[in-house]
Amino acid sequence: MSLERKKIPTYLGYLATAFLLAFPFVYSRADYDFIMHLWITAFYYAILASSWSLLAGYAGQFSFGHMAFMAIGAYGAALYSNYIRFVTNPTGTCTEIPFFGQYLIILDAQGVTSASNSCLDIARETLPRGTVITQPSVWTGILIGVLLGALFGFLIGRLVLRLRATYLALFTIGFSEILRAAISAEIDITQGQAGLELPPLFPVGIFGYAPTDKLPTYYVMLLVFIASMGIMTWLVNSRFGLFVRSIREDEEAAAALGVNVVKYKVRVFVITSTIAAAAGALQGHYIGIITPNILIILQMSLVIAMAVIGGVENIYAAAIGAIIIQFVLEFLRNSFDIGPFVIDMSIWRLVVFGLILMLTLRFQRNGLIQPLLDWFSRSDVAAETVAIRQQESIGEPGGGEA
Amino acid sequence: MEFGYIFWWTLLWVIGWGIIGNIVTPRIYLRRDLDVSQAGLVGASVGAATGPVGLIPLWLRTPQLSARWSVIPGLLVIVILAFAFAQADPDNLCVASSSFIYSQLSNGIVIGIIYGLMALGLTLIFSILGVVSFAHGEFYMIGGMVVYYFLNVWFEGSSPIMAILAACLVTFAIGVIFERIFLAPMHSGEVERPGEYAILVTFGLAFFLQYLVQATAGANPVKAQRFFDFPQYELTSSSGAEIITTTRGNLSLFDAVSIPNPRFTAALIAILMLILLLIFLYRTWVGRGLRAVSEDRQAAAVAGINPATMNTLAFGLGGMLAGLSGATLVQVFSWLPQVGVVASARSFVIIVLGGMGSLPGAFVGGLMVGLFEAAGAGCIPDPTRAAGYIPAYGMIILTLVLLLKPTGLFGREL
Amino acid sequence: MIHLQVNNIFKNFGGLQVLNGVSFEVNGPELIGLIGPNGAGKTTMTNILDGAIKPSSGTVYLNGQRVDPLPPYEVAHAGLGRTFQVTRSFRRMTVLENLYVPAMAMDGSRKQADCVEQAMEVLKFLTIDHLRNEFGRALSGGQQKLLELGRLLMLDPDIIILDEPFAGVHPKLMEIIYQYIYRVNEDGKAIIIISHDMDTIFTLSKRLLVLNYGDLIADGDPEVVKNDPAVIEAYLGHDDEDFADKLVSSNGSEA
Repeated sequence: MSLERKKIPTYLGYLATAFLLAFPFVYSRADYDFIMHLWITAFYYAILASSWSLLAGYAGQFSFGHMAFMAIGAYGAALYSNYIRFVTNPTGTCTEIPFFGQYLIILDAQGVTSASNSCLDIARETLPRGTVITQPSVWTGILIGVLLGALFGFLIGRLVLRLRATYLALFTIGFSEILRAAISAEIDITQGQAGLELPPLFPVGIFGYAPTDKLPTYYVMLLVFIASMGIMTWLVNSRFGLFVRSIREDEEAAAALGVNVVKYKVRVFVITSTIAAAAGALQGHYIGIITPNILIILQMSLVIAMAVIGGVENIYAAAIGAIIIQFVLEFLRNSFDIGPFVIDMSIWRLVVFGLILMLTLRFQRNGLIQPLLDWFSRSDVAAETVAIRQQESIGEPGGGEA
Repeated sequence: MEFGYIFWWTLLWVIGWGIIGNIVTPRIYLRRDLDVSQAGLVGASVGAATGPVGLIPLWLRTPQLSARWSVIPGLLVIVILAFAFAQADPDNLCVASSSFIYSQLSNGIVIGIIYGLMALGLTLIFSILGVVSFAHGEFYMIGGMVVYYFLNVWFEGSSPIMAILAACLVTFAIGVIFERIFLAPMHSGEVERPGEYAILVTFGLAFFLQYLVQATAGANPVKAQRFFDFPQYELTSSSGAEIITTTRGNLSLFDAVSIPNPRFTAALIAILMLILLLIFLYRTWVGRGLRAVSEDRQAAAVAGINPATMNTLAFGLGGMLAGLSGATLVQVFSWLPQVGVVASARSFVIIVLGGMGSLPGAFVGGLMVGLFEAAGAGCIPDPTRAAGYIPAYGMIILTLVLLLKPTGLFGREL
Repeated sequence: MIHLQVNNIFKNFGGLQVLNGVSFEVNGPELIGLIGPNGAGKTTMTNILDGAIKPSSGTVYLNGQRVDPLPPYEVAHAGLGRTFQVTRSFRRMTVLENLYVPAMAMDGSRKQADCVEQAMEVLKFLTIDHLRNEFGRALSGGQQKLLELGRLLMLDPDIIILDEPFAGVHPKLMEIIYQYIYRVNEDGKAIIIISHDMDTIFTLSKRLLVLNYGDLIADGDPEVVKNDPAVIEAYLGHDDEDFADKLVSSNGSEA
């Protein structure tokens, strides 16, 4: 009986996965594109919220720099697709590196307003006939973004080893803001607030779907979501999860018991920032344009709020929380009137959301989803404790007063 | 604009020797069995300021160090960089025009005083509750908003002093209510893991307040009129040179320094409030209670001071100080529901720089950031790009201080 | 063969000299008591042995390996385990998970399933096996103390340092901790007990180290040490007069 109850969330998980896999083919209402868009965005937030919960909830590293890693992934992919080309003959005008029989060229930064031709445009006139210029693959760009995310995760993870709690929060806010300022200021390269454009995930479409169709992107995002949940599930159930939780509880005690604190703290930063960077790179290609605003502090608070309201100490709770909140927020956009007052729901929904965040923290610390999951997995523990005690009729040595 | 290599090389030289000093000095002190707690910092600052000239005697003689040892080299580094800057870019307004320099300096000090006042609120909260309020900038924003609405919408034509008092009252009330509901349970042990909780719940408050104001006041920028006009006045010396000239909106001294009226009155109000605050903290029973709690919570409780009341009071007062700085600055800058974000970040920089929980540190840190911003805004070549980096400068200081000396300039040992 | 060699350890915090050239050796499975008035440097000594803080000068060798520059986790791998003065169980992890941490940290190839049997044995011995799936925070103070001792059994070090194991425990629990110490000692491990409780320390330990203001003023058989005038002087001269009274009275009763 108790064993079966423990399995229920797992079965529900399989059911939900099956539902999500089938959804694009089953659903056929008129708002198909809109709903698909919501799902894609929901997966994106779920990846971010769950990976943040691994970092903050499991490892106790309350970082506010998660969106910075996401942005590193997105900008890594965007810069790659904007500035890298492959040419079969040397151009003579661009920075170029021989690359497996071709030439990898780096276009020069153009700026927002500059109308002058790029080095490639100039070279085009002199290049011999039959020269092929290829756009780089979207997937290589994503891979580069992800690797950059991992690299920065490693560096930041190393730097913050000594910082705890508030100091860590301040440092990561600082890192995030420096990155944002740099992206905003280096207009020549990043186009600043005007935004950097990215090609769609499938620039020429796939399986007969047009590049703008949501369905392929839906599946890519869903698969990345499932994969990241799978990896994180494996991690939290392995020694990694055990050790990072012991570090969260008591770093010194964990070290005294032989846990390599430095290694696992750095690893958790690398892993979560890699996942965040992957989400960022995919979302960047899906939306088609990225601006420095993707890493403003309010975006970060949105992800934190999703994870906290779901339950920060459980990656599933955080992911489910993110999906539900994303849908609820979208459907609360419609404004309405009360007498003479127009209630602008696009803002008020966020006010309410902030209030719910605070109240959840205060009165339902483990979030709203996590207790539900705990009910399935842990409700029999108390009964078991009592049963074993009675069965073995051993007194409670540590103090019957407990 | 061609920006000389001389500056970048100097910078590289300074950073390089700073790193060498930071790494090598503690090792030498350790090997000689001496106290190493200050060696890294002093080594870094001496190395950065003097390079091998200062480091080698330091390594040979290994004197007993204190934090003071890093102050003079630190100032020297600033001078060196300023000099290199002047050499590299002689046409820059900051180098060429002395009156511009004086104006920037005085404006930096004036605005720094107000920043200091705001950071003082944050550091007061930290020293008593042990919490960094991530919603501090939102109190600042609300202070300004209340003044604007008071003067321009609710009670048109009323006295600015009433508006400032109203702003104080509102921000104080928000602070007290929030503390009672959300932070008080933390100290009575009702909330688990209070450290994380405090970070998240104040973050939630920031989110809530910012959107609440946006929902009620809209997202358009507003700006209050200047509170007071200067009386027209002119004072010249016997030789006919100008000493003080005022117009309604401006004050100029010695024909060199010019301070706009709004900034001047804002700083004046800030200084007044600062004096009142000091009197409150050092001369009244309640203020002494606050300081006692910040020194030693348990001892204060034993001595009959109720720490819970002091917590509430400190959070209310801290919020009020932020609200007050906002209230005075709403006549200087244009106001949006989002201004709190930058203000929060700036306060973090100041209290980390000055040392978390240190009242004088907050004030000195405020002045430094004010000067730094004035220098940054006026002097940096390639203005568009530099302007983009302005939000980052403070954060660079913040991250560096956290990495090198988490206790800040005046901080207590952790 | 267990061998701990502490050579001339100095430690100063700023201007405060906490340890003043402390040297001693542990050979084989000894049962040692480490005592001293408040502020004598006992906890600092423990932290230096554990690797949590570095000595200003001096060296520590454990089984021939120099351990003083190592971080705590490597010292644990080298074979030294310790408890803390204040109980530090992992509060949001179950009792079993608390025990898995050291076992899996010590042996990279071990999985949770491989540790269950050993962990249950440890819990049975400590009589808290009925709590195996409870969170650490659900345990009473005494039970958490037992859990911490259980973690040390899973760590399986050569030398165990127990920092105030008897502080605030009731008699029944005391009995279990006694058994624990004897059993671990019989298993061939050296134990260093830091305690204020003078009765237990005299009953348990075969050898006594006395620290006073950073100096090791006595090292030897408890019967000899407690008659040492320097030791009595140290306790009389300082704030721990209660201890000194006991010392004097126990001397008197045996004389």
